[in-house]
Amino acid sequence: MSLKPKKVDFRQTWNVLQETVKGVITLADVPRSTWNDRFSDVYSLCVANPEPFADRLYNETKCFLENHVKQLLTKVQAQGETGLLQAYHRAWTEYSQGINYVHRLYLYLNQQHIKKQKLSEAEMIYGTSSTASPGFEEQMEIGELGLDIWKNKMIAPLRTSLVTLLLEGIYADRVGEAQSASTDVIRGVIQSFVRVEEYKMKGQLDMYQEMFEAPFLEASGNFYSREASELLQQSDVTRYMERVTWRLSQEELRAHKFLHISSVPKVRQCCEEKMVAAHVAWLHSEADLMIENERRRDLSLLYPLSRPLPSGLTPLVLKLTQHITHQGLQAIGPLQGENIHTQFVESMLDVHSKYSELIKEVFKGDQAFIGALDKACSAVVNHRPAPRQPARAPELLAKYCDSLLKKSAKGASESEIEEKLARSITVFKYVDDKDVFQKFYARMLAKRLIHQQSQSMDAEEAMIDRLKQACGYEFTNKLHRMFTDMSVSADLNAKFTTILRERKEENKLGIGFVVYVLQAGAWPLGLPPSPGPFHVPQQLEKSVQAFESFYHAQFSGRKLTWLHHLCQGELKFNYLKKPYLVTVQTYQMALLLLFEHCDAISCRDAAISLRLSHEQLVKHAASLVDCKILKKSVEGELEEETVLTLNFEYYNKRTKFRVTGALQRDAPHDAEATHRSVDDDRKLYLQAAIVRIMKSRKLLRHNQLVQEVLGQSKVTFAPSIGMIKKCIEALIDKQYIERTPNSADEYSYVA
Amino acid sequence: MADSEQDNTDRGDGDNLKSDKLFTLKKWNAVAMWSWDVECDTCAICRVQVMDACLRCQAESKKDFYGRQDCVVVWGECNHSFHYCCMSLWVKQNNRCPLCQQEWSIQRMGK
Ligand SMILES: [Zn+2]
Ligand SMILES: [Zn+2]
Ligand SMILES: [Zn+2]
Repeated sequence: MSLKPKKVDFRQTWNVLQETVKGVITLADVPRSTWNDRFSDVYSLCVANPEPFADRLYNETKCFLENHVKQLLTKVQAQGETGLLQAYHRAWTEYSQGINYVHRLYLYLNQQHIKKQKLSEAEMIYGTSSTASPGFEEQMEIGELGLDIWKNKMIAPLRTSLVTLLLEGIYADRVGEAQSASTDVIRGVIQSFVRVEEYKMKGQLDMYQEMFEAPFLEASGNFYSREASELLQQSDVTRYMERVTWRLSQEELRAHKFLHISSVPKVRQCCEEKMVAAHVAWLHSEADLMIENERRRDLSLLYPLSRPLPSGLTPLVLKLTQHITHQGLQAIGPLQGENIHTQFVESMLDVHSKYSELIKEVFKGDQAFIGALDKACSAVVNHRPAPRQPARAPELLAKYCDSLLKKSAKGASESEIEEKLARSITVFKYVDDKDVFQKFYARMLAKRLIHQQSQSMDAEEAMIDRLKQACGYEFTNKLHRMFTDMSVSADLNAKFTTILRERKEENKLGIGFVVYVLQAGAWPLGLPPSPGPFHVPQQLEKSVQAFESFYHAQFSGRKLTWLHHLCQGELKFNYLKKPYLVTVQTYQMALLLLFEHCDAISCRDAAISLRLSHEQLVKHAASLVDCKILKKSVEGELEEETVLTLNFEYYNKRTKFRVTGALQRDAPHDAEATHRSVDDDRKLYLQAAIVRIMKSRKLLRHNQLVQEVLGQSKVTFAPSIGMIKKCIEALIDKQYIERTPNSADEYSYVA
Repeated sequence: MADSEQDNTDRGDGDNLKSDKLFTLKKWNAVAMWSWDVECDTCAICRVQVMDACLRCQAESKKDFYGRQDCVVVWGECNHSFHYCCMSLWVKQNNRCPLCQQEWSIQRMGK
């Protein structure tokens, strides 16, 4: 073929071309050579000399396509209502393919003639093109032209019938009466509404949405509403939710099957609106009972239904918070007996893990419900048995840890104990007054360390690490100082022994002497209760003196106070049939040593001799009497006149044992005192925090300062605003900060 | 009331023969507490216990892990005592003891 423009007879060429176009659009068999010839005919017409026939070719083709579609319409309409969808679908399937081929046949016209005169988007927007004059009819590429003709000459006249038939077909599918063959037809017809505008730059879905989607959604809405009210009359809530869930999933599948993808969420929303949102008040009222009875299956159905609604979960979250709180309080309410701390922590952990699991399972771990769990657990853990009483959790939790870290933790393996301690952190995190917990923990740790009752130092340190991770190192600072004192003491004892050895005095003390030197303030220990200085047995005095002079040579400005109520010694009993090694408290040791000089002594004389009060003496003597090392002259309570004597008949199958004195027993006022001392610590903590904040900020308004203090202290406790105010006043008084001259509620740091 | 394990191995000192004393002292595990040897437990300047670090040191405790090492006590010739930190700031303003108004001079430092 020649590319050179030449003279062409339009009529003759078009007649031949038209025949081929007719064949192509009806998907008839067109030989390759014919196709090629017609392809060049299109070219020849477009470049004809002297006058190109492009516009004429366009207009003739348009005319031809319009006539073709009109004929198709007549054929489709001839099928009547019953066959309309099928006939339309058949015609569309052929036409949509055919027009595609025709488009390709007209490649030259499309590319060289139409595209060139097509307005660019920019020209359309700015209106700079001269061709945008009124009356100018823009030419379309042949494929688009064909679709446009289909839209106007086929869809437009059939519109009402088509939509009605489609909605009927989908309804039949919904109620399970559809024939499977109609699925492809319905989908194909709906797709044609999208396809005919697909080539557009914007608003591609306008016709589909306006013509089909809108009436479809309206019809669906009516269907769901009817279905919902029918269901409500004949089923309970479980059945209702099952049915709605099923309906939602079916509709989703149906939407994917028939509709354009953009309609899928709209269908879902419509369905939810009519079947869930419209009855949400009823569902929520039913939810209360589901939660109360923990009907997991019902809740699993309700959760996905309520979640998409705005604040659809709020009542569930609220109810669950109440429910867990109630369950938690029930679990820890009736605790009684010796190991109340274990019951408390483990009940709390049971509640926590039970509902964590429920939330994970039923509510898919939704943050809103985890928040409910946290809120409820926090309410339970910090519950006050009576308004003026402190919450029990800090003390009970500390006791729980103590019982696990102590040597006496029986039967449990090391890894079990580790696991329990790790789990206890869950409860710890809910404790509001973490500083109160720390006080109790410190007291119990002190006892474990001093009396060497710790199961393992690794376990002790691991626990402190956990607390540090949860609350920061400041929180565990004092606990660390206790460990430091233990190792400093070990060094001191070694040094002391070395010095004695160097002086060849290692036997001078006459006793195996070891001492812990603890730093006052770091240890939550009281001084020994004593009316006057306790009379240290002369056998121990050498040790006291030697160590004190050693200590004062090491340090200056320090004094030592001996905590006899915490000391203990080992005595060998020589007066019985066999020797016994007995560990007793220093006071008991002193009392026994009195019998070196007398056979019998009254309680009054013993108390005077040891410089103890009668009550103290009785406390220590009683445990010796109870284990039959001492005998008393009269039955009943030890009175001042009661005479004590050694029991020379004493027998124990063990030859080495400990007399448990008063030392391990917590006096009942201990807990109360602990709560009281917390207040002073809080004031100091707050003052230090204020100084720290003011030092870095230099100038702050009152409210900002209060906010920052609250922010810093919230990990350990929640101070009252009143307490913060008092601390600010105290610091102004002490001239750490001052009010600025220009404003009454602004402070500045005094360097 | 009596517990602990059987133990027959401990007869180290060879006094199995009857002693003339009823009791032999074997071990003494003592516990003592140290504190600054001061007349008043509280520092009059920052009103924190002298055994604890002074208020400024506590405010900065983030730097100093164990809190107190550097915050020692100082005694004046008048025998009044304060945190060394507190007193060294105080004397910059006023070289007199805040309690007795005597001229301040250091008698000794805690260690
Ligand atoms: Zn001070
Ligand atoms: Zn300091
Ligand atoms: Zn003074």
